[in-house]
Amino acid sequence: MIQLRNLERYYKSGFQKSWVLKGINLDVKQGEFITIMGDSGAGKSTLLQIIGMLDAANKGEYNFFDEEVHRFNEKKRTELYKHYIGFVFQAYHLIDDLTVYENIETPLIYRGIKSKERKPMVAELLDRFNIVAKKDLFPDQLSGGQQQLVGLARAIIGKPKLLLADEPTGNLHTKQGEEIMQLFKELHNEGMTIIQVTHSEKNAQYGDRIVHLEDGYVREDKNVNELLERN
Amino acid sequence: MFRHNIILAFRNFKRNKTSFLINLIGLSTGLTCAILIYLWVSDEINVDKFHDNNDRLYQVLQNRQFPQKIATWEITPTLLVNAIKEDLPEVEAATNISSREENPRGAFSFGEKNIIAEGIYAGENFFEVFTFPIKESENQSFLKDKNSIAISESFAQKLFSTTKNVIGKTIEWTRGQNKKSFRIAAIFETPPSNSTLQFDFVWNMQLLIDADEYAGKWNGDYAKTFLVLKPDANFEKFNNRFASFMNTKTDKRKKSQLFIQQFSDKYLNGKYENGKITGGRISYVWLFSIIAIFILLIACINFMNLSTAQASTKMKEIGVKKTIGADRQSLVQQFLGESILMSFLSLSVALLLVLAFLPTFNDITNKVLKFNWSFNFVITLFLITLFTGLVSGSYSAFYLSKFKPFQVLNGKQVMSFGDQWIRKGLVVFQFGLSIIFIVGVLVVQQQMEFIQTKNLGYQRDNVLNFKRPNTNKSETFLIEVKNITGVMNAGRMWGNLLSGRGTQSGYSWRGQEDDKKYSFKSPIIGYDVIETMDMKVLVGRTPSREHQEDFNKILINESARKMMQLENPVGMNIGYSDTLREIIGVVNDFNYGSMHHKIEPLIFRVTTRGNNILVKIKAGEEQTAISKLEEVFQKFHPSFPFEYSFVDDDYQALYEAESRVATLSKYFSGLAIVISCLGLFGLAMFTSERRKKEIGIRKVLGSSVFEIVKMLTSDFTKTVFAAILISLPISFFIAKKWLENFAYNITLTWWLFFVPAILVLIIAWLTIGLQTIKAARVNPVQSLKDE
Ligand SMILES: Nc1ncnc2c1ncn2[C@@H]1O[C@H](COP(=O)(O)OP(=O)(O)O)[C@@H](O)[C@H]1O
Ligand SMILES: [Mg+2]
Repeated sequence: MIQLRNLERYYKSGFQKSWVLKGINLDVKQGEFITIMGDSGAGKSTLLQIIGMLDAANKGEYNFFDEEVHRFNEKKRTELYKHYIGFVFQAYHLIDDLTVYENIETPLIYRGIKSKERKPMVAELLDRFNIVAKKDLFPDQLSGGQQQLVGLARAIIGKPKLLLADEPTGNLHTKQGEEIMQLFKELHNEGMTIIQVTHSEKNAQYGDRIVHLEDGYVREDKNVNELLERN
Repeated sequence: MFRHNIILAFRNFKRNKTSFLINLIGLSTGLTCAILIYLWVSDEINVDKFHDNNDRLYQVLQNRQFPQKIATWEITPTLLVNAIKEDLPEVEAATNISSREENPRGAFSFGEKNIIAEGIYAGENFFEVFTFPIKESENQSFLKDKNSIAISESFAQKLFSTTKNVIGKTIEWTRGQNKKSFRIAAIFETPPSNSTLQFDFVWNMQLLIDADEYAGKWNGDYAKTFLVLKPDANFEKFNNRFASFMNTKTDKRKKSQLFIQQFSDKYLNGKYENGKITGGRISYVWLFSIIAIFILLIACINFMNLSTAQASTKMKEIGVKKTIGADRQSLVQQFLGESILMSFLSLSVALLLVLAFLPTFNDITNKVLKFNWSFNFVITLFLITLFTGLVSGSYSAFYLSKFKPFQVLNGKQVMSFGDQWIRKGLVVFQFGLSIIFIVGVLVVQQQMEFIQTKNLGYQRDNVLNFKRPNTNKSETFLIEVKNITGVMNAGRMWGNLLSGRGTQSGYSWRGQEDDKKYSFKSPIIGYDVIETMDMKVLVGRTPSREHQEDFNKILINESARKMMQLENPVGMNIGYSDTLREIIGVVNDFNYGSMHHKIEPLIFRVTTRGNNILVKIKAGEEQTAISKLEEVFQKFHPSFPFEYSFVDDDYQALYEAESRVATLSKYFSGLAIVISCLGLFGLAMFTSERRKKEIGIRKVLGSSVFEIVKMLTSDFTKTVFAAILISLPISFFIAKKWLENFAYNITLTWWLFFVPAILVLIIAWLTIGLQTIKAARVNPVQSLKDE
């Protein structure tokens, strides 16, 4: 599904370049649940954003379903966001002026799905995430965990092939975090490809592969089972 | 999607109530101005356009060559119309009507009832060339009959209290000793208010020709001539050929050239310089259209500025939406939708405001504007509002929507240097316009005041002016008037001093043919006029009864003396056709007519009669004197109403257009400033909101409230200074241009520009000050805890 070859990302400040990613090689197969780990500032978010096409690499190759990403224009990217990629953010990033229901519904509107068909789709997710009672509340009336549930529901309502999550539990209590991770696991079992960034070893266990970033390279790339055995 | 966007828009309004209110007030005020001005402009540009022949209907104008200049007149010989009909194949129809001075007036009576009316003499085809619908008529050719009269419906209503069954009735006309019976042969619709031709009745043109020796000759200008060109006629070609048309008919008009101008165009473009059309009222149409657009722009800028202030929250929304599949187009739609919704909400408020202010606006503009929900009006409203919405939303729609989501979502400061410039630029634009508006108001006001106080060369205070219907017992009448207590002096003349009318050439003072080309203003005065008006006589004497003056005595003004290069003019005899006229005195220069024109060389001709009476009344005794005057008038003219005016009021009326502009510009610039300040208020509010934390930290570090206010305001102050620097030269230029309309005008002094600049600065400071002081006084603990 995803192939990254010698990917580089640097920022220019004055005449100096400072590399965040120096040479990333990574392959992701459909249906995998990958966790990206590394110290703060290691470039995890940067990598995730490049994978999500929110940011672009300066050098190297990136193929998405065997197509070269750097050829994509804005229209193509918008198409991908509609049908292939879902995002979950650490800061939730819900739309303040929309209710829970409307936030979840919005991607469907952009996909041009009729109101009649949208209703059962939203209702199903509200039910599954246990937030039916909250559907008419606004984001600022919800706890962080509830907001992230809404964020997740919004990310997956379009049934994306790839879910990208940057520290989805970073702002949550342990218990709320577990609830989210449990849902990730379920989605994974249903066949969704997931790439998450997290600092928590425990959350990493939910996935099946851990990629460790250091100094702009992939330092370690192992199956969770292998790692478990090693310990 | 549409519903989704509407929901978002309304929730956004609700969340940001202050900016919603600022926008609503700003946009609805802006739209109110725009709608009022639109109503006025559309009324102006439709004047005289209602005639069926409008596209092909032209008026004949005459350029007369003088040594100093070319003068353009609308009066022509009455003979012209038939010559045109006979000789010019491109002309489909032609007609003429009497010039304003020649228009028939007088009292009409039927049984006991009397009314006063003013009409026109008209050529046969009048009702075919112009569209004044005939309601009823005896026969097709009623205008051929010298004893018949066509009357308007309002005329009928006044005289008969009905418009039914009046055809065939005979009414009596009286004017002085003149009496005549007319049979009503037709009744026509009263000319609408957007017609420059206003008349109560129509007589056969032949009556005018019969009554005046010169009216039927090529060297007399008594009529306005109109023609309809055939559809395939070429205007340019026709005009070229037409220029010398009169010279092919007579050799008496060698210095006259003719041209035609579309009749309905003449109302807006009725000023001529050197024989060419040079605009006219059209400049006010432009002026106010531009003002309307600028006021709307100022309101739109408020909207944009407040959007930039909320940009950071907006951008988060944009970023998120992009990641869930929103394309740029749908975001553009959303933002434009929001601003357009806002402007349509404002439109509904604006319509109420227009309804409320229309009567006042009508008073100021002297119009009878009203809403008529015509297709055009509704479409225009819709377009104006749409335009406002599009401009207002353009910033968010096209600028904010282009950011990449990751820039926004990472919480980085993406407002670049350029954005700051845009925002400042917008404020500069707003305040620049406000300053220009204020300078405009001041200059117009000063000029109007100058006009009011300028020494005209005569005293116009407490001078009453009225017309006698005839000049019977001229001397006895004047004596009785003078005997009234409170009357200080009284004189008589033909015409009056404010019309500026009457131009003569043909005088020869050196016995040279060349002299005769020079033209002089040539009013005709009787005894006591110079004394009554308190004009200064430089040498010689004024017309007096002891000298038994006659038409061969003249006075000249100082300008004429200079032009004629006469050292001792008094007693000189100068030639005029085959007579000699004696100069009996020289008067100081005075403004004959309005101050739009320079004082020209002038010759006072002397008469012993004159129907126009000037009466100087002692201040404070106006009431009693006027009622006594009326008694005297009624004694001499029992069947006529006593209609008088004060010269000073007539004088003000000369500057009616300007004084309306003065009043209107005052209101509009006031509004422009209010809207600008609203915007600044909002901006200051958001700025201090955004910098709340910084303010808190500074206070903890020991800054005083004053220092913080200074910090917050210095930015705005610089912006307003920039506005001042840019707008002052522009307003100087505009003011200078406008003042060129007057031959006598004020000089532009520094304070006319300094005062508006300071005023705007102070207003801006007050607006911002209120906000910043509030922000600076907040307890720092509070603002730091919020984060
Ligand atoms: N716009 C930018 N300009 C300059 N440096 C940046 C920019 N964005 C990120 N960085 C740098 O890139 C590095 C990686 O950031 P990030 O990917 O957010 O790290 P992580 O998510 O692993 O904590 C950091 O050192 C950060 O300072
Ligand atoms: Mg990160």
